[in-house]
Amino acid sequence: MPLISKTILIGSPNSGKSLLFNQLTGLNQKVANFPGITVNIKSGKSTVAPELVLMDFPGVYSLHAISGEEKISVDAFYAGLKDPEVSSVVCVVDTTRLEKGLIFALQVINACAKHNKPVMIAANMIDVLNSHGMTMDLEGLAAALKVPVAAISAKSGLGLDHLQELITSHRDSPSPYPSDIDSKGNNIIASDDSIVHRQAQQLAASFGPKGDILINSQTRLDQFFLHSWFGGISFILIMFLLFQSIFTWAAPLMDGVESILQFAAVAVLPLLPAGAISDFVSDALFGGIGAFLVFVPQIFILTLVVGMLEDSGYLARAAVICHKPLRIFGLTGKSFIPMLSSVACAIPGIYAARTVDSPRKRWLTYLAIPLMPCSARLPVYSLLIAAFIPATGAFGGVVGWQGFAMVSIYLFGILCGLLVTALVSRTSAALQTDLPFVLEMPPYRLPSWKPLLRNAWDRSKHFVTKAGKVIFMVTVVIWVLGYFPNQGADLGQSWLGHMGKIIEPAFAPFGLDWKYGVAILTSFLAREVFVGTLGTLFGIEGGEENIISLVEHIQNSGLPIGAGFALLVFFSIALQCVSTLAVLRRETGSWRLPTQLFVSYSIFAYGAAWLTFVTVQSIAG
Amino acid sequence: MTLWDLKQGTSATVESFCTALQSEYRTRLSELGFHPGEHIACVLSPSLGAPKLYRVNNTVYSLDDSVALLITIA
Repeated sequence: MPLISKTILIGSPNSGKSLLFNQLTGLNQKVANFPGITVNIKSGKSTVAPELVLMDFPGVYSLHAISGEEKISVDAFYAGLKDPEVSSVVCVVDTTRLEKGLIFALQVINACAKHNKPVMIAANMIDVLNSHGMTMDLEGLAAALKVPVAAISAKSGLGLDHLQELITSHRDSPSPYPSDIDSKGNNIIASDDSIVHRQAQQLAASFGPKGDILINSQTRLDQFFLHSWFGGISFILIMFLLFQSIFTWAAPLMDGVESILQFAAVAVLPLLPAGAISDFVSDALFGGIGAFLVFVPQIFILTLVVGMLEDSGYLARAAVICHKPLRIFGLTGKSFIPMLSSVACAIPGIYAARTVDSPRKRWLTYLAIPLMPCSARLPVYSLLIAAFIPATGAFGGVVGWQGFAMVSIYLFGILCGLLVTALVSRTSAALQTDLPFVLEMPPYRLPSWKPLLRNAWDRSKHFVTKAGKVIFMVTVVIWVLGYFPNQGADLGQSWLGHMGKIIEPAFAPFGLDWKYGVAILTSFLAREVFVGTLGTLFGIEGGEENIISLVEHIQNSGLPIGAGFALLVFFSIALQCVSTLAVLRRETGSWRLPTQLFVSYSIFAYGAAWLTFVTVQSIAG
Repeated sequence: MTLWDLKQGTSATVESFCTALQSEYRTRLSELGFHPGEHIACVLSPSLGAPKLYRVNNTVYSLDDSVALLITIA
């Protein structure tokens, strides 16, 4: 037996597999890969047997994959079965939905038999059955399947010691089904789908819990949460809470990160010699990198809240509510949460799109996300609206024009996102697999906080370590272009300034001069940089804070009203956010989609801005 | 009659899948319990054409009309 032995944990989504993994490993995990297979498999040492490594495989409904992603996960499982270090397989089954779990378990047992790997069943959520006075015949099931069955509760920890003992004692023990044939020569585990299903049905009927208590209580809650009125009201309230969590609850933490960065800058900068190094650390590191680090609390809180909604079972209900309206635009109900999250920031929205299981619908969701009116657009909108829209109102001042303009530009972005997906879904060939809308309604449960916090932490770390590298490189390039050759003395005379003057003719069709061109170029880092750059170019210190003075400068610069409207339209469409591009690259695995989106949305933004300029100028006379 | 026609609170037996449904989806639906001969109950039919909720054994699934219209019931 090798010194290290590995145990594969496999199960359907919502079976509680990952929670069990967290319990067995004590959250001491790392992400691993089988050679040649790019799927994230968490691994961690058992808390009771350090030589035992547990591997958490992605949840799949079946070993018959119907999408590319499922195939990757299933291939990883088969690669694991061929690994000599893998000594056993634990298949996690939800006992409250036994028949469905057994169909998958029978497939796993069959696969393990073919590879001569011992397998055992972790009969999870036994505590839920107990709490409803229900029981099941575990010994009978184990005897019928000829594999060990351990009754567990991954949530409460019930039965985990027994499961660990089983894993340790059964590893490397011979499979009970060599070549699918038992000692009497009968084919115990059938590979034919219909026979597998019939076997699962018979096993669940013979040994599973009896009664409808659980399903009836779930249906009663569904009748409330999916009711025409109550369902709608509760949906709005829950989404309001989600939105609040992104904007309001994350704000103190974001302020905290900003304060820490300021404190660090104050402590570090005096230690550096004045000049390029000090300016680089101040502007590129604390300014540029800090601008993306402040989003980390937002990502953490959003991941936590979305995870809580998913764990509680509500996310599936929200997808049902949103499915019909979003389907008109080629999307699915599952696209709603990523799109809503993107109204705060596209980055958590892109991460949240992982919950969209259909690869094609997820791809379409990615197209819509950069057009959602994110919070980074807010300072730009505020500046331009203050500069070009009168602070008066209609209906006796009840409806202010500036507020109306803000709502309009927000809705314009959302509408653009939906129209793009509607158009692309109807005209582009389906390169990705499109899964039909068949969504399992998980039982309503109280979330388990530990794994949720762990997941939120992992996601935040992933953002900092992976996307951060790309953001850092682009930040350095932009800083070098803006700093040299005159050591940051005058942005207008820098290489970036010269580039602005070179590209000035490109922005002239919608009435902008080189200063706005430079501000647009620098806002590639992050959209809000536009305000700070304009402040610098107009000679105002702290453009973000001193917005009234900046508004006056813009108004006095003779910029036509059409140009102001054109800029609003440009910023609502253009994908000027390096963090979004970097995260999209991480999630899709290549630069193809980020590049396509950047180019196409830049062209779209340019065309729409020009059209706006021409229209507004002709109306304004 | 298709699964989509099933009224809330009623049940029926799956008869067959329409040929328009791709074979891999048929396999998946069968694995989830929607296979010919299986008893299915419509537990919830939300308004405005939202996906309906169907119970198969002890599991509830939501199916939209693009799928439920391709499953014939008796």
